[in-house]
Amino acid sequence: MTQLTRRIVMQTMAAGLIASPLRAMAPFRLGLTPVFLDNDAEVIGRLREAFSEVLGVEVVLEQRRTYEEVTALLLEGSIDAAWLCGYPYLQHKAALSLMAVPVWNGQPLYQSYLIVGADSTANGLADLRGETHAYSDPDSNSGYLVTVSDLVSMGERPESFFGRTIFTYGHRNVVRAVADGLVQSGSVDGYVWEALAKTEPALTARTKVLTRSEWLGFPPFCGRSDQMNTPRMQAMQQAILTLDQTEKGRSALALLQLDGMTKAAPALYDGIAARMRIMDTLRP
Amino acid sequence: MSLLHRIPFALRVPLFTAALMILVGFLASQQVLTTLRQVQDDRIRELAELQIEALSVALGPLVSRNDIWEVYDTLDRATGQNEGQRLVFAALANADGVVLAATNPRRAPVDSKIAKLTSGAQALNALSLTGETAEIKVLAPLVYQGREVGQILIEMNVSDLVAERTSVARLLLIGNAVVTLLLAILGYLAMRRILMPVTRVVARMRDSVDAPEPIAASDMPAGDSEMAQLAKSYNSMVGAIGAKAEADRRLAERERFVSLGRLSSSLAHEINNPLGGLLNAVDTVQKYVDRPEVVRESAELLKRGLGHMRDVARATLDLNRLNHEGAVLAADDFQDLKLLIEPEISRQQQRLGWEVGEITCVLPAAPVRQIALNLLLNATEAAGKEGLVSLKAQQGDGRLRIAISDSGPGLAKAACARLLGTGAAASGGGVGLRLVRDLVSQLKGCVSLDRADGETVIRVELPC
Repeated sequence: MTQLTRRIVMQTMAAGLIASPLRAMAPFRLGLTPVFLDNDAEVIGRLREAFSEVLGVEVVLEQRRTYEEVTALLLEGSIDAAWLCGYPYLQHKAALSLMAVPVWNGQPLYQSYLIVGADSTANGLADLRGETHAYSDPDSNSGYLVTVSDLVSMGERPESFFGRTIFTYGHRNVVRAVADGLVQSGSVDGYVWEALAKTEPALTARTKVLTRSEWLGFPPFCGRSDQMNTPRMQAMQQAILTLDQTEKGRSALALLQLDGMTKAAPALYDGIAARMRIMDTLRP
Repeated sequence: MSLLHRIPFALRVPLFTAALMILVGFLASQQVLTTLRQVQDDRIRELAELQIEALSVALGPLVSRNDIWEVYDTLDRATGQNEGQRLVFAALANADGVVLAATNPRRAPVDSKIAKLTSGAQALNALSLTGETAEIKVLAPLVYQGREVGQILIEMNVSDLVAERTSVARLLLIGNAVVTLLLAILGYLAMRRILMPVTRVVARMRDSVDAPEPIAASDMPAGDSEMAQLAKSYNSMVGAIGAKAEADRRLAERERFVSLGRLSSSLAHEINNPLGGLLNAVDTVQKYVDRPEVVRESAELLKRGLGHMRDVARATLDLNRLNHEGAVLAADDFQDLKLLIEPEISRQQQRLGWEVGEITCVLPAAPVRQIALNLLLNATEAAGKEGLVSLKAQQGDGRLRIAISDSGPGLAKAACARLLGTGAAASGGGVGLRLVRDLVSQLKGCVSLDRADGETVIRVELPC
């Protein structure tokens, strides 16, 4: 089946011709974390409306504070799918499958930024020794893995390199913590920082990007592998992938400053996997 | 005190009222400000309690987890960015006094000591707005599940309360000043009105040249108040002064008549005594008409007797010309007096000492003669039979000094009072003494009385 044919089929499904069985189904549960979305009520509302319209069933967005919590919900089957980070996806690669990957600036890739206060004189990660540092989530690639794997690569021990580390459980919070001077540096999702630079320039102006990581796979929508072939999951996957086909979907994407959604192969996350392997060297 | 006494009474009372008002206003303002401060203190304490309580509820579990971000986020949201936000700064420390997070992390970095910030912080139960500081600092323990797990330091913006207090204080000051001024003006007007009768009496007394004028019936205060009584008393006093002046005038007149009477009696003697001799001379002339040497002798005698009588009549006439302006005192005036007094002296078989120096000073003759004659008449009366009476008149140092002495028993108390006192003339003792005193004072002179070696000396000094 070509890409075009599948899209037509899915659009037909979305139009409700063969969606009637779904209507009788239980609400679709999609897991989210504020790590990425920062509890933006408007974005969440738009997403829910967009998905519900396409699927024809109620979509419930389940929000949890950490990736760990959302991942756990997904693995135990309490939610049908989740917008996760590449890192937890890879951590549970055996049980999870990629449903869709957001496209940002034309590609499904993003970077991790190491940010410091606007008045900082540091030139690189090595200059931050002994200072305070904010991570977003211990299961976040851009907000944790990239920095700690860099430290390991530098031969440092991540737990003692910084004077104190905190977890803010939100990329925007990392930016706030650095901007307000609560910490001297932070590990943040480059996409979030750039998005904030457009919506809240006064906030990001108080920070500056010290280093940028290589391009890595964008946080994907994941589902349990054992459920992926069910019509319910197929429909959901299609709904996500065709988000840019509906008005509400485009509106949600615009708020998220994303171009659309695409299918991606696991190889997209090889860069993250490489960093995970660096971390493995720490293990006894 | 002297300055105070120089201020008119009508101004002093309103000033005193104003001073009292200022005092009352000050005390009342203090009371209001104290109450306001208490109310504000209660209010800010309540607000601080609520803030601390709310923060404790939110932060308690976070402190026990050492969740720095959540502590910061909670504090940050609690302070917010709204204008007029009461809570402007908050910091939270753990039980060891180490800062977990503060709304301004640059001011209170993570892991710094909270003690660096607690200077000037007040305890919650003793919280009070002090001075003009726009912010107050409160340090309170963070209690979670009944256990003290840390400390909360908050800074609250109280500029609105301070401004309110300043504004109230200013309003009170202006209000009190206006009310005090109004009351002072009203007090001044009221006091002026109340004191009008007194002012009138004072003016009347000040403006009266000879005799004080009574208050007209139209200006008399109504009713029976103290002021009305004062005005009535003043009018009665004015009446009494007038009556007294009239009585004095009559007394002086009477004294003149009394001395005139005495003098007339002496004159009658003076005329009567030679009259027998003169009649005898006429009989002799008739009897010895043919003996020319006897007739010539009798005519000589008649001429001498009639000449003496002419002199006496002239002296008496001069004495009664009291208002005879222009006649200046001379030694002859004393000769006249001697002539007038001698009959009385000889009647009483008294000795007369007479010593009159050169008199060149310019003094009216009539009052001086009246003074000396009255004193001489009194002296002859006091000296009694075969007594001693003397007169000395000397001029020197621009003064005429007349001393009249007698060997009598001295002046009675009443007579002294009439001669020397200024009070009401008591009756009895001494003729014309009050007249002497009045005449001497008119001539701006003075009278003194001495008693030594059985002699009474009355000295009169007259400037000339």
